[in-house]
Amino acid sequence: MDVFLEQLINGLTIGSFYALIALGYSMVYGILKLINFAHGDFFALGSYVGYTVLVFGSAVITTHFGLWGGLMAAMIIAAVCVAFVGIMVERAAYRPIYPAGRLPAVVSALGASIFIQNTIMVIWGPRYQAYPASLIPNIHIQIGGLHITMLQIVILIMSFMLLGILYWIIQKTTFGAAIRATALDKDTASLMGVDFNKVIFFIFTLGPALGAMTGVMVGMYYRQISFTMGWNYGLKAFTATIMGGIGNLPGAMFGGLILGVLEMFGAAYISAAWKDVFVFLILILVLIFRPTGLFGEKVAEKV
Amino acid sequence: MKIMKYLAMIGVLMCICMPWNAMAAAKPVVIGLQGPITGPWAYEGQMAKQSCEIAAELINQKGGILGGRMIEVRVVDDAGEPKTGALAAQRLVTQKDVVASISTYGSSICEPASTIYEKFKKVNIGYGVTAVRLTQRGYKYFFRTCGRDDSQGQFFADVVPAKFGAKRIAIMHDNTAFGKGLAEDTKRALQPMIDDGKLMIVYYDAVTPGEKDFRVTLTKLRETKPEVWYFTGYYAEAALLVSQAREIGITCPFVGGNAAINDEFIKIAGLNIAKGCYMTNEPLPADLPYEKAKEFLKAYKDKYGEIPSSPWPIYAADALNIIAYAVDNTGSTKSDVLADYLRDKVDGAPGITGPIGFTEQGDREGVPFYLYVVDDEGNIVVSK
Amino acid sequence: MIEETKRIGMERFFGSYQSMFFITLTMFIIYPFVVSDYYIDVAFFFGIYALLGLSLNIVLGEVGLFDLGHAGFYAIGAYTTAILNTKFGVPILILLPLSAAAAALFAYLVCSPIIHLRGDYLCIVTIGMGEIVRIALINNPFNLTGGPNGVYGIDFPSFGGPFVIDSSIEYYFLIWIVVALSIYGLIRLQNSHIGRAWNYIREDEVAAGASGIDVRHYKLLAFVLGAALAGVAGNIYASKLMCVSPESFTFWESCLMFCIVLIGGMGSIPGVLIGAAFISLFPEIFRPFAMYRMLIFGTVMILMMMFRPGGAWPRKRGGIGFASIFAKKDVTDD
Repeated sequence: MDVFLEQLINGLTIGSFYALIALGYSMVYGILKLINFAHGDFFALGSYVGYTVLVFGSAVITTHFGLWGGLMAAMIIAAVCVAFVGIMVERAAYRPIYPAGRLPAVVSALGASIFIQNTIMVIWGPRYQAYPASLIPNIHIQIGGLHITMLQIVILIMSFMLLGILYWIIQKTTFGAAIRATALDKDTASLMGVDFNKVIFFIFTLGPALGAMTGVMVGMYYRQISFTMGWNYGLKAFTATIMGGIGNLPGAMFGGLILGVLEMFGAAYISAAWKDVFVFLILILVLIFRPTGLFGEKVAEKV
Repeated sequence: MKIMKYLAMIGVLMCICMPWNAMAAAKPVVIGLQGPITGPWAYEGQMAKQSCEIAAELINQKGGILGGRMIEVRVVDDAGEPKTGALAAQRLVTQKDVVASISTYGSSICEPASTIYEKFKKVNIGYGVTAVRLTQRGYKYFFRTCGRDDSQGQFFADVVPAKFGAKRIAIMHDNTAFGKGLAEDTKRALQPMIDDGKLMIVYYDAVTPGEKDFRVTLTKLRETKPEVWYFTGYYAEAALLVSQAREIGITCPFVGGNAAINDEFIKIAGLNIAKGCYMTNEPLPADLPYEKAKEFLKAYKDKYGEIPSSPWPIYAADALNIIAYAVDNTGSTKSDVLADYLRDKVDGAPGITGPIGFTEQGDREGVPFYLYVVDDEGNIVVSK
Repeated sequence: MIEETKRIGMERFFGSYQSMFFITLTMFIIYPFVVSDYYIDVAFFFGIYALLGLSLNIVLGEVGLFDLGHAGFYAIGAYTTAILNTKFGVPILILLPLSAAAAALFAYLVCSPIIHLRGDYLCIVTIGMGEIVRIALINNPFNLTGGPNGVYGIDFPSFGGPFVIDSSIEYYFLIWIVVALSIYGLIRLQNSHIGRAWNYIREDEVAAGASGIDVRHYKLLAFVLGAALAGVAGNIYASKLMCVSPESFTFWESCLMFCIVLIGGMGSIPGVLIGAAFISLFPEIFRPFAMYRMLIFGTVMILMMMFRPGGAWPRKRGGIGFASIFAKKDVTDD
């Protein structure tokens, strides 16, 4: 039972990472019908920015902020920087290409992904970087046979808070309504007074910022970061997006969490080496029986 | 008609990419170095490159070989991947002026590469390739200046359980040729003690390289209550494994194989976790007592400010030394002559890592092992 | 007078496509004899990518199915060759059709249940399929695939006796002859009823179905043919490298193939060649830029899509098909 709980917590932790990244995918997809391959790299970039903040700010952090404050600072700075990069990428690589349609935009997104990935490599070098161990709070908690760390709990709480905030933004605020309206029908939404450009601006700040915060959390959790890590997480998050029903934001969140838990249980009870196969098989099964994802609505075929 | 238009276009494209690579000068004796200059083990590759260049410089300063011919090191990058390694080997064997090749770091990269060297009859000397079976294939042109996993496995069996008084031993590898090989050899070396009932292997499994989350695997490891834990993979995974293991409450001593612990390991794991981690290893450069080693390390330090932090670059330098030695003594650059000479005639040639000689199969004769530990300051020192 | 005739003759010769064809062909033949082995290898990989691009072009370009797992088929072909050759000593050339068949069979089996999925859902399922293949190869099922180290010691293709393909030049000709044959076959296919049915499905799946085209059958056919061609590429690749390992068949490789088709122009065979040239030659040409090389690569990809969104050499024919895929009428749709 302890082991089961432990795996569940592990799974939820990873799942919340996936969910946060998946939200960025899903928002962009909902509005632009574009698979934003660069999104995973926003996440990696955020991780590196957070790393830099921690390394260069270590003196200030230890004297003024304390460890938790330092992590918060790293997350916020990373979010701001990467949101800025997100806007830049949208302006430079996507905006000029929308009119040409979806497929060129996919190639452009891949190009942007390569660009960001290699920018990271040029700036920080190709080697693994490690979040400084001395700046990461390291408190063990043992309840019976259950081993977890304080960091894990904080990360879990933080990501659920972020997910909650986002859910609130999307479901309850005007901005959220604008996003949902645009995703449903762009033209009608703009006739109703929704500023398409503002919506785009919004999703390209919010998505990358969330990705960046996730990046810092992943950096703290595993400590080891590499410039190619955006690909792996991006792929998993994209899977989560589809599993939940693409363009459906709550679906993306649940897709992420389900994926994380499935992955952990797959690893624990089937085989660690085959866990990704297990995840993809489940995805394929889901799609065979529900071709628009778990929470996707049935789309009528347009003739 | 379309077909012609585009074929024409392709033709033009191909012309643009005509070779600009310069003709190699005929004079120097060219020795190839295939190593991971980029990629996950770029760290090792760069040091190997620097070491070989220093070794070549030292020989060149003394007037070169064959009465005044200089040694040139030609580096090809295998990025630490078997595929790129195979291509890199092909690049070297098709360059006619390359006399022999030093190749490479990582048994799994060496294995396909050495089949190519063998097919094209070019002497190749491995410097960071310890899987036993590499020299069991009856290859004529393959040698190595480093030791073998079975001697390391034997060393582990002789020293580690006794040191920790451990009866429950966990062995974990990473499914690569190197990791799996060392794990198997260790298991074999422990077998007599298992038969005597002195100890038991409670865990024997693999992790996937490149993975970041090992908590599930480690939970399983924890349930087996090991008293000592031997990981035979590379440092990138080792660092994550140890950190995560300590997080979930595995407290037993960690012993790494000879690729598991280096400065990067300490950086990633953090000193708090890294200190007290052990490794079985060939003697580190600083612990080498030989005259040639002192000369080499001085030259290296003068140029790069510090001595190599792992033993492998030194073996690369020794591979260069022994090739130069063989070319000089036989007066020939023919592969067959060199291979025969290395196999039969070389015995106790001077090397940085001690006298060099090869067995019938191409293995290095007599390489010692030490048990190292990370001390409180983050230095890797011989464990007492 | 004679001078005049000569001049016109020259003009005609150099102005015509025929002459261009022969000039290019000659250059193709001369090329490997004047450059170093290194550049022959570069041209060889150009050929491999051209073949892979052609194979994905059937699925993505002709039928408009998003396939981002094509490396899986490529892997099946390569591993079929590698395993049957090293374990059972089957000659490489016999394995060429066998690898194609194995990849095609695999495509048939895995694509049958998922062929009804649309657009991005199909896309993620193919990604999943490619990843499953790769992870399975890493995990060494039945001790066949050699795990992360792969299979090595694959033979060279041999015609018997001394006729063995083992040098860079011979591989260069092998791959380009295969590419040329494939192009010939694909042009024939484009103009057949199959090609037209494919394009109809791409333009409007529902209408195609309503006009009596068996949509499912033709989509599966595209996957099977595309996979077979990728299997051929896998066979040649395996024997050239003499070893195969899972990291040659990553998601990234599938993305590259996807880019080849889109950069060149969907459904356009010359486009595929240009796309393949870009993907394989660009990193070589820009090697001197070292670590900035991939940065430039990414930038150029974005720029190309900005200035030629329909691809470098879009297919010119009635109903190029972008109209249905793209929200707006495409500029290259002439």
